Amino acid sequence: MEDQILQPPITTLTQERLKLNVGGEFFETTVSTIRSGGPESLLYALSYRPRDDRNPIFIDRDPEIFSVLLSLLRTNRLPSSARRFSKQELSDEAVFYGIEANLKSAISPLPFNGIDASIVANIRPTSDGVVSAFTAANGDGSIWLAHGGQISSYDRNLIHDRTIRTHLEDITSIRRVWPGIAALGSYTASGLHFYNFFSGRHIGSSHWSDPTDPRIYKARVTAIADSSTSIFAAFDCPHRENSILVIDKSTLQITSELGRQLGSSAKNTVAGKLTWIPETNVLLGSAVTCGAFGYSGYIRLWDARSGDVVWETNEPGSGRSSRFGDSFADVDVDVESLKLFKVCSKSGDLGVADIRKLGEDPWVYLKDKNPGMGNTSGRGSGNIKIHCFKNEVFVGREGELEVWSRVEETKIGVEESKENIEDLYRRNYVDKAEDSERGIIKEIEGGGDRLFVSRQNVEGIEVWETSKFSAAVSVL
Amino acid sequence: MSPPFFGSVSSSSPILQPPLNPESNIVTINVGGHLFQTTKQTLALAGSESLLSTISDSSESLVPFIDRDPDLFSLILSLLRTGYLPSKAKAFDLQDLISESQFYGIESLLINSLSNPSQFEAFNLEKSLILPLNGRDPPSTIATTPFGSLHVAHGGKITSFDWSLQKKTTILTQFSAIDSLLPLSPSLAAAGATDFSGLQILDLESGHVKSILNWENVTRSSSTVQAIGASSQLLFTSFESGRRNSNSIMIYDLQTFNPVTEIGHNEIYGAEIDSAIPATMLNWVAGYNLLMASGSHSGPSGVQGNIKFWDIRTGNIAWELKEKVDCFSDMTVCENLSAIFKIGVNSGEVYSADLRKLGDGNPWICLGDRMKVVNGKKAGVGGKIESYGNQVFCSREGGNLELWSEVTVGNGAKEGGLGLGLEERVFRKNLMGRVKDLGGGKVTKLAFGGNKMFVTRKDHQSVEVWQSSGKGF
Repeated sequence: MEDQILQPPITTLTQERLKLNVGGEFFETTVSTIRSGGPESLLYALSYRPRDDRNPIFIDRDPEIFSVLLSLLRTNRLPSSARRFSKQELSDEAVFYGIEANLKSAISPLPFNGIDASIVANIRPTSDGVVSAFTAANGDGSIWLAHGGQISSYDRNLIHDRTIRTHLEDITSIRRVWPGIAALGSYTASGLHFYNFFSGRHIGSSHWSDPTDPRIYKARVTAIADSSTSIFAAFDCPHRENSILVIDKSTLQITSELGRQLGSSAKNTVAGKLTWIPETNVLLGSAVTCGAFGYSGYIRLWDARSGDVVWETNEPGSGRSSRFGDSFADVDVDVESLKLFKVCSKSGDLGVADIRKLGEDPWVYLKDKNPGMGNTSGRGSGNIKIHCFKNEVFVGREGELEVWSRVEETKIGVEESKENIEDLYRRNYVDKAEDSERGIIKEIEGGGDRLFVSRQNVEGIEVWETSKFSAAVSVL
Repeated sequence: MSPPFFGSVSSSSPILQPPLNPESNIVTINVGGHLFQTTKQTLALAGSESLLSTISDSSESLVPFIDRDPDLFSLILSLLRTGYLPSKAKAFDLQDLISESQFYGIESLLINSLSNPSQFEAFNLEKSLILPLNGRDPPSTIATTPFGSLHVAHGGKITSFDWSLQKKTTILTQFSAIDSLLPLSPSLAAAGATDFSGLQILDLESGHVKSILNWENVTRSSSTVQAIGASSQLLFTSFESGRRNSNSIMIYDLQTFNPVTEIGHNEIYGAEIDSAIPATMLNWVAGYNLLMASGSHSGPSGVQGNIKFWDIRTGNIAWELKEKVDCFSDMTVCENLSAIFKIGVNSGEVYSADLRKLGDGNPWICLGDRMKVVNGKKAGVGGKIESYGNQVFCSREGGNLELWSEVTVGNGAKEGGLGLGLEERVFRKNLMGRVKDLGGGKVTKLAFGGNKMFVTRKDHQSVEVWQSSGKGF
């Protein structure tokens, strides 16, 4: 027993030790600790010394912040003394020592979990703060906001990086197509526009034109998606002719066109949402129109290479008769599990369909089993947004944010089927009642381990994260 | 247990041991009992005048001792090492840091890290401070220095705020109200008024009048000051005679305040209005070596004005623009954008004119964004427009501040820029501030210095400070 306890110190004694003098303070650690930043780091390079050199390695930096970073290397977590320093400072210093990867893994939030998330920040740009569109597509928790014709970027620490002004007055769709290039569309101005974010320059535009068809002019962009090689943008003309243009990502030139249609009815209006599904190489487009007689719209899947429609559904008009008249209000795809999720406009129910097994009526309607939740029926109409992120489905109903999460299957080994999937999801609120009073949810998007929510006519954007800290409130 | 300083007495301890190698770069300093080590290169950044560089030069083998607070010294050392203050500096009062940096002789580094014009982020400004002015006079004019100190004229007083906006001094002048104010050096400013004869060079610390510059006009009446401007060597002053029948721009040497030359001397005979307009704005355009002088006059036939660019070596006008239709209510030169900007007094629109394409005809291009014309009144009256860096700031109505910026179009867009069919440059505006900051009293003056924007509003006895909340205090 005693031997076991003593064992670790003895092994570390045999390790090579190293003395450092940082700004006049002495540190002693092991070579393996100092090298844990990886071979590219400054500390790794410094750890190579002649064996007989007894002088400590001198580094002319602040010792207090070094002690924080050293305990990060020792324990892989930040000590509480790190709170005295800003995230920016810690990451600047970590970059100096070449251990930014260690810091990143220590300070990045927990994997996002919709049933245990809270608002950690509200990013508010200093001017024209109502966010008209945003993208978190980089996946590291950074975000680009479009507000009042400007784009502002916030880095992974949610610190304002830069703002550029575009020529557009109102940016309604934004996509980060390259690390430094944004593709922008606006309901009020024609064309798809590319801006280089670092130089702030407009570097190109794509306009839909057709010399043989005079009705194709002044086409505005309603939705943007991108694959690894192409950008897809839905264009809409003043007389409702519409199409999806495929633009080569490297040349930013238009290469082809998908599904041109007249736009004369709800079944062929322009797509308001485009999503690329890399697994199956298909593009998902959907459109919803809301009129006096309720919602109608379509969901369509295109094969990107052939340009053919591989599946489509129009609502109302197809599917089970019991659901007739209960057209979807919004749809999104979970690109990892290859499932389509839709929210019904009348019942408010959530429907799911497996992309690999689409057919005449692929929808399964999930059962809502949480008695603590308000009834969805009759709650469908109004503003509904749906977003799939990290195997969960987030639904914004007016100002309320709810999440549908999968529970562990009780019977192990049972294939997921159309019959049992309806029991697999549970519905919970993400927010509190007072959160929902801030305004109608306009857009939900996940990125990194964060969920971003924007609300109509509310300045700024909410950032939700999952944390292991209890945030206990003292009531003394 | 041995006292903490025990090790520093023992010669065998590595802490007190002088560097083994006498050629070593490492310098040890004992500040208030706390030992710091750094390199000669880091200390050399403090500049040759500072206490720290004398320490690093001394070849004594003893560890130098400085009897100051070690916590503050660690901040100073971080500033030298990285160029900016660490966030733990927020626990201290800025005033402590300033006095400490003065002690070590590195105040300029501190100013550089906290109030550098390069840190001005036009898109990230927010209303952050209000500087109250004592007494009841609202500010009549404000003037700034490149590193963000501010001079405010209110009534006959001038209150000067230092770059940190933490300290102020107020002096009393002979003026009843000051209309033009220009800082010439940290302690000197030129001040003038439209109802008081002569330009005064004032010592801002004592209030002492260093010299009075007068323009000897033909009518032997008083000479009132309409505008002041300066280049790196010259001081420009626009005078008008007390009888308002002659005006001129006098050029003085900035060091000696001796007259160098006089340009644009006008004697008024008859009803020729144009020559009767004295320059009310003087702006040295360094990149073009020209002096911009502009003035306007409101008469029964509307507002008329002129904008002149003077070649001061020859005394000739390089380019002149007569403003008969939709004259400016305010205008500014933006050298970085090579353009001049104005607010039209009738339309209230913002116009730009490219300095590189000045010639005959109307150079003004309306930047769009039509403002609501209320009952056909002069919509642009009292508008304010200023440029700083690459941006143009303006206030037209309702106390709102607008930020105009140019959208740069890369070489990629060939089809006439942005595909909008526009050959011209594209400018776009944004309203500054969050919703709670919008509105407020009518803006009377906009000024820029360091990383800050200063705004005064009608009947407000204070100055608003807008800055970005990034680094710093």
